[in-house]
Parts: sequence; C-alpha cells; structure tokens
Amino acid sequence: MIGRRLRSLLGLALARVAGRFRIAPQRVLLAVLGVGVAVGLMVSVTGVSLGLASQSVVQSDGVDYWLVPEQANVQSIAVSSGGPRLGDVHATSQQIGTDDRVEYVTPVLLELVPVRDTATGERKYIFAVGVIPEAGQSVLDMPAGQLEAGDPYYQNGSYDGRWTGEAVLNSAAAELTNSSTNSVLAPLGKNQSMTVTNVSTGGVATAGGSVPVMLVHLSELQELTGSTGGDTADQLLVSTNDPAVKSSLEGRYPGTTVVTGSGLSPQTVSASSLPLAVAVAALVSAVVVGVLFVTTLMGLEVSADREQLGALAAVGFSQRSRSLIVAVETILISILGGIVGIAIGLGGIVGVNRLGTQLFSVETVAVFEPQLAGYALLVAIGIGLVGALYPVWLSRRTDVLEVLA
Amino acid sequence: MADSSTIPESSAAIPPAVTADSIGREYTRGGTGFFDRADAPTVRALDDVSLAIQRGDVVGIAGPSGSGKSTLLHLLAGLDIPTNGTVTIADTDIATVSKRQRARLRLDNVGIVFQRFHLLDALSARANVALPLVELGESKRQRREKAAVLLDAVGLGDRSGHKPGQLSGGEQQRVAIARALVTEPALVVADEPTGELDSVTGEQVLDLLVDVADEQAVVLASHDQQALDVCDRVIHLQDGEIVKRVK
Repeated sequence: MIGRRLRSLLGLALARVAGRFRIAPQRVLLAVLGVGVAVGLMVSVTGVSLGLASQSVVQSDGVDYWLVPEQANVQSIAVSSGGPRLGDVHATSQQIGTDDRVEYVTPVLLELVPVRDTATGERKYIFAVGVIPEAGQSVLDMPAGQLEAGDPYYQNGSYDGRWTGEAVLNSAAAELTNSSTNSVLAPLGKNQSMTVTNVSTGGVATAGGSVPVMLVHLSELQELTGSTGGDTADQLLVSTNDPAVKSSLEGRYPGTTVVTGSGLSPQTVSASSLPLAVAVAALVSAVVVGVLFVTTLMGLEVSADREQLGALAAVGFSQRSRSLIVAVETILISILGGIVGIAIGLGGIVGVNRLGTQLFSVETVAVFEPQLAGYALLVAIGIGLVGALYPVWLSRRTDVLEVLA
Repeated sequence: MADSSTIPESSAAIPPAVTADSIGREYTRGGTGFFDRADAPTVRALDDVSLAIQRGDVVGIAGPSGSGKSTLLHLLAGLDIPTNGTVTIADTDIATVSKRQRARLRLDNVGIVFQRFHLLDALSARANVALPLVELGESKRQRREKAAVLLDAVGLGDRSGHKPGQLSGGEQQRVAIARALVTEPALVVADEPTGELDSVTGEQVLDLLVDVADEQAVVLASHDQQALDVCDRVIHLQDGEIVKRVK
C-alpha cells in the first residue's frame, strides 16, 4: 500500500505540474527556461572541452585504438611531443601487424621541425608526423598512401636504408612554407631534404586555426630529430574491425593505455587538465545558476500555491506527503529544464562549430557525445534535488489556518 | 456563558463523532517569532465551550464576526488544538497526538467543506473528490469508483472530467461536499458553505449537504439564517462564549 500511495502522490505531483503549465505557466516556464539555459551552457562548454580533449590524440579514419604512454601529457599535440614515449616501435608494430584481425598499424612520432621557407628562406616550424605508411591509409585525414609504403630507411634495426625524402603537407604547411607538390624542403641543420609529394586538406585543427603538418616516414623523422636511439614514437595507431584486439593490445607495453577510437577515452579526459577544468567550471556554474533559478521561482510558486497546500493539509495530507509533492514537482520542472538544456546545448555546439568554421576555418571546436545528454539530465536532477530544499522548507511553514481563514 | 459547563448528551448509546470539553483558545497578538516580545498580549478567541455531536446531528454555529465561530470549527475539525480543555475525535484527545497523527485523524474521521471550495485547479472534479483517498493509499480503481458514486449523489456524474475552472460556484461546492464525504468520515464541518453562492444555489447546496451526509455529524458555521434553518440545533457564540443553544 505504501508503494501505491507513493505512486499516487507522484501522479498527483505530475498532474499539478501539468496543471501549472495549463493554468498559470509563466513562473514554471521561467524556471524550466532558467534550468534549460544553465544546463544548455554547461552542455555547450563541456562540448568545447571535449573538443579540446579529443584533439589531444592523433586521429585517423579507420583507426580504432591508440596505444599511448600512460603518463603522457597529451593536452595538445604540440605538448604531447615532449612527453614519455614508446620504444622499439618498429618491431612492436610489426608484431601487432601479424595479427590477422589488425588492418593497419603504425607508430606515430610527433615532432616540431624547423624548415626553410622555399620562397624567403625564413625559418618556419612545421609539425612533423612520422608514420609507417600503407597504400590507401590515412593519418590525421592526410593521405599516408601518398608516401612510399613501408619505411625504407629503417633496415632491421639500423638507419641506413634508402632515404625517400618524401613528405605530404597539409594546406596550412604548404602555405606557411610557400610550398607545393615537388617543392623541396630543407630541415634546418640537416643534410637531408624532403620533397613534397602531395598537398592535402587534412591535418590538425585547433581553436587557433589549422596546424601546419608534414607527414613523413617514421625513420626519416627519427633521423631528422635524433630519435633513432631506442626507436621511439609517441603512439601506436591500430586499425581493426575486431573489438577483441583491444585486450591483446593491453599489456603489450607496461605503463601504456589503450584508447578506444569511438567515444571518449578516459585517458584523454583525465590527462587533459584544461578541458577537465573547463568542464568542472561549467558544471559548477550550471548547478549554481540552475539551483538559484529553481529555488527562487519554485519558492514563489509555493508562496502562490499556499491555499492549495493548505487545503491538502486540511484534508489530511501529512507534512511528509506535501513535502514529497513539492520536491517531486521541483525535480520534474528541473528535468524538463534539463531536456530543454540538452536542446539548447546541442544548438550551442552546432553554433560554436559554425562560428569556428567561419572565423578560424576549424570544423570541430565542440563535440556532442550521446553521454552528454545523460550527464545533462543527471545534473538537472541534482539541480532539482538541491533546488527543492527551499520550496519544501517554505511549504512546511505553511499554516493551514492562516491560508484557509 | 449559558450551559457550557456540561457536555449536552445526545443519543447516549452511540459515542459522539466529536466532543469539546470546556475548551478555550488564546492567540498571541503579534505572532511568536524569534524577535517577538515574550510578554506579547494574548487574545482569547474561545472560552469554556463544551458540546458533543453525534452522527446524524446537524449542528449550526452562529454568531457575529469575531465571535469565535471559525475558531470553534477549526478545533472541532482537528485543524487546531485548544489552549485549554479537550477536543476528542474518535476517542482521541487531539492535543495529545503529533501533527502527523492529527492529520491522519482528520483524514479518517473529518470531512471539511470550505467557503471558497479550495479545490485543486489542476485536477478534474473526479480527482478532486478522490484526493483524500490518495493519501489513504487506495488503488486508482477504488478511487474512481468511490468518486463516481459521490459525484452521482451530488448530481455531477456527467461533469466528472471537468476542471474546477469549468464549473460554476455551486458545482464546485458540490464537488467539495463530495470530497468531504469520500472517506465516509464521522464528522463533516462546513465553514460558511454558502458564503460564495447566491441564495438559490446556497439552498440547493445546503439541502444536498444535509441529505448526502445523513450518516455523518454535520457542523456548519454560518452568518446565513437560511443555512442555520436546516440545522437540528444551533449554538450561538458571542465573544468566544456560548450565549444560546437553540433546538
């Protein structure tokens, strides 16, 4: 019977909320909108922070897992180039590649390389990405297949093979260095040179615009940057259609993390303090603003509704039942605000991305993950729970004789 | 203070629906808030009133404004507790139980009809009638059935789905009467039940109240002579004291 009574009380609260929207919707609409705006801003800002976080790992179409050092600070690609690295990567990638389930595997070395502008001779910095290319594969949305397949300069542990000198530039790098296909780039302080085989549209986008990227053979970048000792790279990219591959990757390197290609990786989020801080700030702001809105407007609502609450008390509803009704009403209104907030947040993310495209030529500043919707609803429920304290307290102070006299 | 020192007996074998034994009620002027004076003056709204009301009785409480009618009615309904004396509902002294227990006592034993109806705007007539049954934890089917029977009894069977805003004042008061009776209480109290109605509608509502509540004790407080005419006996109050009992 208690369960039935509880269900009936919840139904009564629901009916009263629906009635408010029908009879006097201004205050409840304002409360819903207040929570909606707060949650919407939180979703948008969290989307931006997710966008920041997801830029911390090299992404490529068809790559499903990244093997990255556990302690790497991959807050951004530029920063990650200075972090801990994986060793003996040629052998390891070859070993991973023997698994039939793996479609493509390549180590990724990330380095800033100074080169001369082909027109002015000025020193320019390009973000060089060293990979072991394969026909038809792309890394950072740049066609790795435009490089000769394999890594000819690397010969069974030594760096004395054939120097290809091939490089694929993205348009930002080509523009920066005044290069085009067949241009020759001279890395500063080195004897070797690189020939541009292709200029592509891919690369790395940040809030500040497109990063100049040069895709080269891994061993040649190792040679240029002095990373040959230990055969190091920052990450291993593994492409597969079989989810079971993940478990065989885990533990291959002690102290590494396997990051899943789809969705968010705990590694990127936890290792990226700035996006995390932004997301937490957005959460705190949303909760504070949402609670203030709900508390104020539901407090006014309870004050305006004192006669009906008094009638419930007179009829025989206990204080506990009346408190439950007021609390459930507040939470329901917050949840409605959360749903509105998801829509506002989604709109905000779309808007931010459009602005990013227009102003900075960056397509993905903010990211909407389906989990964000659940997160927003949870926050809305939390806002409702905290926001219900004052209206419930107010309702408990309702003097039945005073309101019914 | 006419014959208020003794509890008038009604049908001796059946326990009264409610009894008041030498009850009084004082209010502190200026409230009892934190910053209020400890020696704030008090106002005596009711003094040494005794009465017993049996099931089937229709008792009127008359008197000018400020005479203590509403105070007495609130005490008899268990909405308030006396400063001195005892009010007994269902063999329970209402001053000795917690607020929660007193609410339950009202739910089980008292139906209340207000001057301004106090129906819930968001609910249909049927849901308003069934409202006390929600707190009692009755099933939806039981609630609908009981509400339908009572709405038929008050002549609103065909308007059960209407919201209060879609009903006239007389219809709303009939819904309120049905709500007061839905738990089959021993006592129904009505505070100025015709106060918001025209005389014709008021007469219809009073006839209905007396007719439908034939197994309940009915106490109604009113200025309206028309309302007092339907009562078996009338208690006249002045300055918080009973000055006349009329059978």
